[in-house]
Amino acid sequence: MPSIRVPTALRSFTGGASDIEVAATTVRDALTELDRRHPGIAAKLLDNGAVKPFIRIFVGPDDIGGLSGLETKLTERDEIAIVPAIAGGRNA
Amino acid sequence: MTLRATIVGAGGLGGPIALSLGAAGIELAIVDHDVVELSNLHRQIQFTTDDLGQPKAARLAELVASRGGTARAARARWTDDTADELGGDADVVVDASDDPVTKFAVADWAVANGRCYIIAAALRYGGNVMVGAPGAACFRCLFEQPVEAPSCADAGVLGPVVGAIGGAAAAFALALAHGDRAHAGALLVFDDLRRAADPRIVRFAPRAGCPACARAPIAPSPSPLATPLRVAETADAEHSSPHRIA
Repeated sequence: MPSIRVPTALRSFTGGASDIEVAATTVRDALTELDRRHPGIAAKLLDNGAVKPFIRIFVGPDDIGGLSGLETKLTERDEIAIVPAIAGGRNA
Repeated sequence: MTLRATIVGAGGLGGPIALSLGAAGIELAIVDHDVVELSNLHRQIQFTTDDLGQPKAARLAELVASRGGTARAARARWTDDTADELGGDADVVVDASDDPVTKFAVADWAVANGRCYIIAAALRYGGNVMVGAPGAACFRCLFEQPVEAPSCADAGVLGPVVGAIGGAAAAFALALAHGDRAHAGALLVFDDLRRAADPRIVRFAPRAGCPACARAPIAPSPSPLATPLRVAETADAEHSSPHRIA
């Protein structure tokens, strides 16, 4: 089953879980399933159905922008990685 | 030949970057507008309570010099207006700031002026290091604009994390300064340093219509995203990169 690697900044939506397995055949389906189980997380990633400009999504090592975008097909062993832009530094 | 680097930010990331590059013989310009505060000390471990109230850039430059390095300080913000003066003739510009707008300004300037650059960021238990060089996809190809990026002001960051991310950033900056561009256009993603120190290394293609690349003296290649670049991956990263954090 494909899995989604959730970045630390969004793990508040997943109860701290970093890897979520999803039954899905495309990246879009995977994110839909992720949001069904963890409501609100898709709104952090998508805007009007498109990936937000400060978010990149990879299937394995491949940027979905160079594949078929959100319609990129998944196999059982694929790992989706969500990579947000981050800043750094002030208060811990 | 003297190699030069400008480091933007003298805090948690800028500290280890400056100290290690300075010790490696890189001539540094350190840029930061801020002063040392008590709340900085847990992660900006180059400073002590004796430094409270002192300008970070000047104090860090002194520390570099005390270890035999060469550094000058500028108490300033990196903006489009100050970039030419602060960037100077640096071979590599390293962003170690905590501000998304500054990161884009550093990257855009480097791209427009044909310089190598590093964009480093840390958040909670992880961080990212982007390696940039002329002819490769740029930071604005990766993240189009500086909006809504979570910052440590909201989420926090730990001292050991900025130390590790800063060390990786310094290693790649040193490689770029010495002409090693094997990782140009790569993003290193340190997901959670409590679990693993190995980064996921991903590459991304230039984005069609990128306004930063349009100003570059060397057009990025290969052709925009229709042909994704080969990507290294986590499991074999130890063998694919000579620039590992210990």
